[in-house]
Amino acid sequence: MNCNEAGMLVAKYADGEVDSLQGRSIEQHLRGCAACAAKHQDLLALRAQIGAEVPYFTATPELRERVRALLANAQDTARARPRPKRDRWGWLTGGFVAGCAATLLAWGVGTTVIAWRANEDVAVEAVATHVRATLNNHLIQVASSDQHTVKPWLSARLDYSPPVQDLASEGFALTGGRLDMLNKQRVATLVYSHRLHTIDVFVRPESAPAPSTLRTVRGFNVVHATGSGMDWIAVSDVNADELTEFVQRLAQQTPSP
Amino acid sequence: MPHLDAGYNLARWLTRDVHDAEDVVQDACMRALKYVGTLRDGAARAWFLTIVRHAFYDWCGRNRPAEILKDDGTAIDMAADDTAVGPEQAALRSAESRVLADAVAELPLVFREVLVLRELEELSYKEIARIADIPVGTVMSRLARARSLLRRSPLLHSIRGRTSGGEQ
Repeated sequence: MNCNEAGMLVAKYADGEVDSLQGRSIEQHLRGCAACAAKHQDLLALRAQIGAEVPYFTATPELRERVRALLANAQDTARARPRPKRDRWGWLTGGFVAGCAATLLAWGVGTTVIAWRANEDVAVEAVATHVRATLNNHLIQVASSDQHTVKPWLSARLDYSPPVQDLASEGFALTGGRLDMLNKQRVATLVYSHRLHTIDVFVRPESAPAPSTLRTVRGFNVVHATGSGMDWIAVSDVNADELTEFVQRLAQQTPSP
Repeated sequence: MPHLDAGYNLARWLTRDVHDAEDVVQDACMRALKYVGTLRDGAARAWFLTIVRHAFYDWCGRNRPAEILKDDGTAIDMAADDTAVGPEQAALRSAESRVLADAVAELPLVFREVLVLRELEELSYKEIARIADIPVGTVMSRLARARSLLRRSPLLHSIRGRTSGGEQ
């Protein structure tokens, strides 16, 4: 360290503002450099002289008493007029409540819209699946009119076991089953024939946003029912009344007579 | 009011008057009550001194506007120039009989406040920087200037002459 570098550090050192590393190097420099050591001594002498001759003024007892009275008085007035404070809290509370209400409202509207959109999507997706299966002639993966064949076939390929019922006696004959993807989930599809019409019934475990009961998408009726712990979504060109009655019969799982 | 003395000492050195200092301290106490929410733990003295300083500058603006103007503007430049002899220095040099306390009182305001905070309140550069609202580097340069102004006061010269004479 040379005197140039030491210049500002001497004052810092005298003021106790250097770290231990700087402290060591400045001490080393001061031992070897008479000019900087004199500067340092000068600062210490000035400090000592200030300490000895420059008074530290303390508050007089009168001032102390006056300040105490002043503060006590101010606190009393503050206590006597608590309104502004309460007003402010009132505003804060009001704002907080309003904020919460707005959040809840937004959440409510949001979930409703999302649920509605989801239902829309499920109905549209169901119709698209139905149409694709019909066009590809890929309606049936397990062909059987026997519910005891279709059910185990589906159960083996799903993490749930959909109730399967043949309603041939009522004009809805079970012709088979297949697997589909609906709303990113694997679902069981039961295929029924009713006169010349084909009916796809998607069966999946009951999910929270229940689709609307009846919709028409591109001329196909989409009917929804809930029962036996399942969502039943039937897609067909069968007329809406018949389809509704049929899907509700399926959902209720009353044994066929 | 645990730091009343510190506040009063600063106000006394800034105003250089007993009664003015009391006015400033009372104002500062009222402000402290109002802003007690801004007080951080462990820094109560520096916090109160900041308030005292603000109270002083407001008071000074009302009662002695010329002083702030003089000390904040030209005095710094003049004092920063070693060769220039400002009115303060001239006053110091001519006043042979003054004691060191008077020399401190005669320092321009911006140098006086950092010197008082450092030497009498023994605050760190960082605390002084926060109170006076200036960078640490400025604290150091103002402190150095304050000391060199004091050292050049005739009083100090006579003392140094005496001590070095004693050593010889």
